[in-house]
Amino acid sequence: MLRIENLSKKLGSFELTDINLNIEKDEYFIVLGPTGTGKTVLLELIAGMYQPDKGSIWFGDTKISDLYPEQRSIGFVYQDYALFPHLTVKENIFFGIKCRGIDVNEGNKRFKEIVDFLNIEYLLDRFPSTLSGGEQQRTAIARALVTSPRILLLDEPLSALDPRTKQIFQEELRRIHDNLKTTTLHITHDFSEAMALGSQVGVLHNGEIMQVGKPMEVFRHPNSHFVADFVGAENIIEGNARGKTIEISNSINIETIIDKTGPSTLTIRPEDIILSREKLFSSAQNNIPGKIINMIHQGPLYRVTVDAGVALTALVTMQAVEEMGLQKDVPVWVTFKSAAVHVL
Amino acid sequence: MEKSEVRGQNILFTAVISISIAFLTGFIILAISMVLLKGLPNIIPSILSREIQFAIKLSFATSIISTLLCIAVAVPVSYGMSRLEFFGKRFVSTVLDIPIALPPIVSGVALLLLFGTTDFGHALAARGIQFIFTPLGIILAQFFVNVPYMIKVLGSTMNDIDPRMEFVARTLGCSRLQAFFKITLPLARSGLMAGIVITWARALGEFGAALMLAGATRLKTETLPVSLFLNMSCGDLKLALAAASILIIISVLSLFLFEIMGGKQYELSRSSLY
Repeated sequence: MLRIENLSKKLGSFELTDINLNIEKDEYFIVLGPTGTGKTVLLELIAGMYQPDKGSIWFGDTKISDLYPEQRSIGFVYQDYALFPHLTVKENIFFGIKCRGIDVNEGNKRFKEIVDFLNIEYLLDRFPSTLSGGEQQRTAIARALVTSPRILLLDEPLSALDPRTKQIFQEELRRIHDNLKTTTLHITHDFSEAMALGSQVGVLHNGEIMQVGKPMEVFRHPNSHFVADFVGAENIIEGNARGKTIEISNSINIETIIDKTGPSTLTIRPEDIILSREKLFSSAQNNIPGKIINMIHQGPLYRVTVDAGVALTALVTMQAVEEMGLQKDVPVWVTFKSAAVHVL
Repeated sequence: MEKSEVRGQNILFTAVISISIAFLTGFIILAISMVLLKGLPNIIPSILSREIQFAIKLSFATSIISTLLCIAVAVPVSYGMSRLEFFGKRFVSTVLDIPIALPPIVSGVALLLLFGTTDFGHALAARGIQFIFTPLGIILAQFFVNVPYMIKVLGSTMNDIDPRMEFVARTLGCSRLQAFFKITLPLARSGLMAGIVITWARALGEFGAALMLAGATRLKTETLPVSLFLNMSCGDLKLALAAASILIIISVLSLFLFEIMGGKQYELSRSSLY
């Protein structure tokens, strides 16, 4: 559906070289890359803010890289949402309906549908400066989707949100895609977003696409050291969700903040896990006893793997390792907050 | 340093700053109140005089028209200078600023030569567009001297508007022209208002360039500043100071308006209304 052929662009310090991508209809494609690799430039090239130095972009048989942005039928949601500050939420959403000259009845119908679908009825008369991050995001998505674009471009849609809101909106994005089936290109630096949402993922590094595939495939079979390092999400655990509890084994339950039922995969970032010798009495809801099975020195930190029924890896400072006398076979408690558990 | 020495130095430092501020503020108030003290008692009878009425009308008419011209030209120019990249942009930008640096009387001479001595000027005059010694000349002089100020104020506002706003509008189906009128211009509203106030106030007081191009003819090209000048020259202090007082009142009000409009960011003013 969307085809990018040999696309190159140099813009200031950003450089994209010979990008080739093929995004199928209804796909949720994630471009994954570290910050500052020109991911936004790629989206802006697709949407028509810049002309490519070389290469072309196609929608089926139409070469859209020759068209003006207004002729491309693209929905664009920036990281900071770029809502029009002088217009209310309602006016923001109606903007595209008016610009595209969509018939009044049809426009009203689409407007009502998207507003109901995203539950933003209560925001309609407010100005963007009075909205929370999540509310701004829903408004920006509604503004983009109401014009029924051929593809929705999302620029780091979750990175401006706090962890709790982030998980809720990840679910929201999934719901939007499941229901509306709009072909989506989402860029991010966070592999867990790719795991949770992407039907395909492309890894971008130094302006080049390093690997394309299903997220699990890329995770299991990285084709280069960079990809292996970059997608190195640790603590990927499978279990069975029952509400806000995920049962990992008979004796281990992990508390989350997402309501879900059925088989689930979750990840916990190693830096979100705290190790201690005694059980910690804190607000964190997950406390699991275990035994250290491995310790790797990594820069100023130790990467400590604990067998707590499942293998969990934590990052610990050298000072903490010394103070607690951590070493192989020492029993420890593993503690992490329910909000630190990322349900995929 | 001794403790007392440090203390002495700090007191001296604060004193110098305070005295400077107090001196300058007092100086300005004193000078202006001299005019107002002498001018205000005569302001009502003066406004009733035919000459001052003529000057007020001519001043308002010319300054409003020249301000509208400034808007018409400065909006596209400042937008282009803010958004477009082209060869020689720095040079163009410097040229656009020249009238600010020139003494207005020199601008007046330049316009006089262009419209009075060239075939271009003669051709215009032959078609009835006569700038020399006419109110039309006053408008042209005001425009030439003030348009760079409008461009500066509007330009800095345009620079503050995120170009992505227009781009998003275009992905939603707007042409560049529509995006400009629906997004950029409304967002530049506060800058535009501030530009209008400063341009209009300066046009009202424009003297040097207008004097050169349009002359100072009583009841013909007699604006408020020209009236002040003519009546000062022939010793009619009452009329002169009344004209000066009117100019002061208008200037101070405009400055006040400018501060209100220019100093507030758009979002803030809009959300505080909300």
